[in-house]
Amino acid sequence: MPHRLLILSVFIVASCGLAYELVAAALASYLLGDSVLQFSSIIGTYLFAMGVGSHLSKYIKDEDLLARFIDIELLVGLIGGVSATLLFVIFAWVAAPFRVVLYALVFALGVLVGMEIPLVMRVLNARKAEFAEIVSRVLTFDYLGALVVSLLFPIVLAPQLGLARTAFLFGIANAGVALVAAQAFRAELRQATALRLRASIVLLALIAGFVGAEAVTRWSERGIYGDQIVHAQTTPYQRLIVTQWKDDLRLYINGNLQFSSRDEHRYHEALVHPALSALAGARRVLVLGGGDGLAVRELLKYPGLEAITLVDLDPAMTQLFSTSATLTALNQHSLTNPRVQVINADAGQWLETAPGSYDAIIIDLPDPSSYGLGKLYSEPFYRLVSRHLSDTGLLVVQSTSPYFAPHAFWCVVTTLDEAGFHTFPYQAHVPSFGVWGFVLADRHGRYQPPKAYSVPLRWLDAEQTASMFRFPADMPRPEVEPNRLNNQALVRYFEEDWRRVIR
Amino acid sequence: MQRRHFLKLAAAASLSGCEMRLPWQAPPLTVLRPGMAAGHALRDGLPAPDPAREREVEVAILGSGVAGLFAGWRLAQQGYRNFCVLAGPEPQGNAAGSALGGIPCPRGAHYLPLPSLESAHVRELLAAFGILRGNPSSARPEFDENVLVHAPEERLFINGAWQEGLLPQHGLEAEALAQIERFTARMQALREARGADGRRAFVMPLALSSQAPAWRALANESFANWLTREGFTAEALRWYADYCCRDDYGAGIEQVSAWAGIHYFASRGGHAANGEDGAVLTWPDGLAPLTRQMSATIGAERLLPGMALRVTPRGAGVEVLCLNGAEAFRLRAKRVVLAMPLHVAAHVLDLGEFGFDKARDLPQSASWLVSNFLLDGFPREASEEHPLAWDNLRYGGDTLGWVVATHQWIRAARPAQTVFSAYHALPPSTGRLWLQNAAQDELLELAGRDLRATYGRDFERRIQQVELTLRGHAMAIPAPGFLQRPGIAALRAADQHILFAHADLSGLSVFEEAAWWGEQAAHKILT
Ligand SMILES: Cc1cc2nc3c(=O)[nH]c(=O)nc-3n(C[C@H](O)[C@H](O)[C@H](O)COP(=O)(O)OP(=O)(O)OC[C@H]3O[C@@H](n4cnc5c(N)ncnc54)[C@H](O)[C@@H]3O)c2cc1C
Repeated sequence: MPHRLLILSVFIVASCGLAYELVAAALASYLLGDSVLQFSSIIGTYLFAMGVGSHLSKYIKDEDLLARFIDIELLVGLIGGVSATLLFVIFAWVAAPFRVVLYALVFALGVLVGMEIPLVMRVLNARKAEFAEIVSRVLTFDYLGALVVSLLFPIVLAPQLGLARTAFLFGIANAGVALVAAQAFRAELRQATALRLRASIVLLALIAGFVGAEAVTRWSERGIYGDQIVHAQTTPYQRLIVTQWKDDLRLYINGNLQFSSRDEHRYHEALVHPALSALAGARRVLVLGGGDGLAVRELLKYPGLEAITLVDLDPAMTQLFSTSATLTALNQHSLTNPRVQVINADAGQWLETAPGSYDAIIIDLPDPSSYGLGKLYSEPFYRLVSRHLSDTGLLVVQSTSPYFAPHAFWCVVTTLDEAGFHTFPYQAHVPSFGVWGFVLADRHGRYQPPKAYSVPLRWLDAEQTASMFRFPADMPRPEVEPNRLNNQALVRYFEEDWRRVIR
Repeated sequence: MQRRHFLKLAAAASLSGCEMRLPWQAPPLTVLRPGMAAGHALRDGLPAPDPAREREVEVAILGSGVAGLFAGWRLAQQGYRNFCVLAGPEPQGNAAGSALGGIPCPRGAHYLPLPSLESAHVRELLAAFGILRGNPSSARPEFDENVLVHAPEERLFINGAWQEGLLPQHGLEAEALAQIERFTARMQALREARGADGRRAFVMPLALSSQAPAWRALANESFANWLTREGFTAEALRWYADYCCRDDYGAGIEQVSAWAGIHYFASRGGHAANGEDGAVLTWPDGLAPLTRQMSATIGAERLLPGMALRVTPRGAGVEVLCLNGAEAFRLRAKRVVLAMPLHVAAHVLDLGEFGFDKARDLPQSASWLVSNFLLDGFPREASEEHPLAWDNLRYGGDTLGWVVATHQWIRAARPAQTVFSAYHALPPSTGRLWLQNAAQDELLELAGRDLRATYGRDFERRIQQVELTLRGHAMAIPAPGFLQRPGIAALRAADQHILFAHADLSGLSVFEEAAWWGEQAAHKILT
């Protein structure tokens, strides 16, 4: 009986070992991207650590074999069980040491798992089983365990339980092996009761973890985003997070809210239609930024538009909004529409070399929170944009909040003035953002806000439009400098304005 | 990840595999010594082949540095057509540019201060190229923002942290700060100082400065001396003054004269309508674009490859024996402009005829190392409080920091690759010999010293390519006595068949001075 029990434990131990490795690699590729790199480096680290573990196993004295085996099982169960949740919490709350913790965990697990099989073999050997038989049996079950998990993990466990609970489940299995072994071999163990007590505590803790894992991950997600994360990705340019709570989808870039599906229609209707509905003969439109495809969705309402070119820096962003089912439902597959061409490039670079002129140019870039982004709100940049705008064309720039960041907003207006445009600033109320600002600009100062809209809209109408172009008395225009590359005034204004607002 | 996508990635990785470097392999290194072989051949008087052909021209400008090109630009701009520019061993001279991995970067001069009112010639040039807009003689003209240095402009690593600007502040004691403030105020006041002749004491171009002996006497002592005399003893202040002199003159406060030291601070009072005082103009490849635009106005047909071996007055004109590769040819001109360094001019022509005495009049020259590093990505900064600036300097040492070639690019995100250009002015007494004999490892050690101290391994592992430009005779040092050289005065005044134009005539080497002598030569030809 004890023989069989040990062989069975090999099966479980082997499955657990592989499971932790897969959980760590899957979590790393999910959070950090580049799955080939993550899988291969984690598997490599893990196998190497197992080698270290096998080597270390020789330092365990023969008389301690069983007790140490049980300890190791408990430790593996504990570390492996909490691994996914721990990593996730670290990633959510403190970004920097994530990789260090990840590889440290993988290494520690590898070392411990690497000690298991040699120990079991020595236990069996000490019981005078025949050596050839031991090797054959142990390794058979070892590999069998690996096979079972490698199939179960992607098909059942990861999708059904999620990574955090999968890890806890295997932790429970490890601790279970420890408890059963402590029970079965109690006669041979010196401190059997203490071991059993330890095993029970770990087992209970892991079960509690299994039950609570969901809550912990949600809590850590909520710690940053308030809602559950349905997509998280770190690209070379930014960190993309999509959250969902009931029917509210939200996109965060580097932790800043980009839209909420509850009210994004207000933002995008305000961004697109005051310009487009004033341009009867528009055929070609350029969108800079706006990789979520929502502005393009609005543009596609105009049957007269022949070509829409969208230039967004990050291929991961446009890829995500071209393929994810929930997100393409939101942008109505705008990015894969045949009238739309998606280009992944830096808008500055692209404008320097691209030919062509457009009837409308819509600039939907992230707020000017860095010197790099600040350059794309500068006078030389607007002059560059101007070279691509047809003589009667219209330019629209999302320009942060005139209410919360008045200096930044009016700095954009002043910069466009300086670059030779006539400007028509306006503001709209978007509940999840507050009052938001846009600047419309043309060459000759002839722009008139539309008196009626011929495309289907959810919110915008002629009255709204008229009031958008009026700035109430509590939003006066402050005296500001234009945004020059030499001083990057806008980045400064933006920082100072928002610092005053955010406590 | 989709399988197809993965296969594409794998294919891309294996395709680019040939560019991959193993950790122990050094990055590809190019060492350039512009003009050295040609200059030494001239010095050693190597025999030249017989000229195979001859070309007649009214004016031959010998040398295509800033001075030669400016002279040519002015002639062309005034509609004067019958001239040519002989490029010499290094087209564009000390204002040449390069490109690593497709990224333009400087091999020499990298910035131009906002031109003061007296630098009318430079203002006109900039106006002609659309860089200066509106009236070129207004106090505050507007400049093309693409080339006004973008923020953040400069930062200094001092007392364990970066600070904004190069003037030391962070972590200094009250006494040092007070001295720095007094020094700044003093230099500000000296901008307005005038001599008995009514001229400003320190003007760029220096030829327009006051000739009053009271001011010119400052050219007879070292800047270090003057600083001490004036009670400027704080270490941080002296280091800063020393850095400024090394950065512009290639020699520190002990070697340059007080007049030159003050000139650095007091002569550049230019303003911009759309930039802060003290802003500079810079291009990704330094000042090379200005030389390219001057060349374009001159016209490719007037730019000849080759160098002058011998300049001989002949009747009412001048004969120039030239060498292009292995082929010799002869230029016959009514007038020639020697737009080459004086130590070279002394080998193609007997300068004694002009009253120039080499032993007495030839300035000592500074040696420079310009190091361009092509990097994969940007090395990680220890803190983001003061992010990477255009010019980045470390306090305390005798290095000159580095500039970022992609700083002026208008991009939301940082490019995948960049070039950092590190500058080193070598100690005047030993520098040239060291450059000549140093092994590649020693050159690389000096070239990357600041960057390794700042970024460590992260810098090292990003290096894709290195280009070192060694300039043994880079520029004249404005040492004590430099304003009182009769031979230099004679060459400046030459106005017959042979004219001179080079920064060496100023005795200190900056774009405005080189251009000024080009302007003078063109003026003599045009009137
Ligand atoms: C590392 C470095 C950094 C600098 N940074 C700055 C800066 O930031 N800002 C600034 O204003 N200035 C700077 N300077 C100074 C500036 O580059 C020079 O003042 C200017 O380029 C000098 O131009 P030039 O025409 O007088 O001489 P050079 O540049 O010396 O040109 C001499 C020309 O003569 C030619 N020549 C040589 N021999 C012969 C021959 N036998 N026949 C024909 N032609 C010949 C050469 O090919 C060359 O074209 C810097 C200089 C160096 C070395």
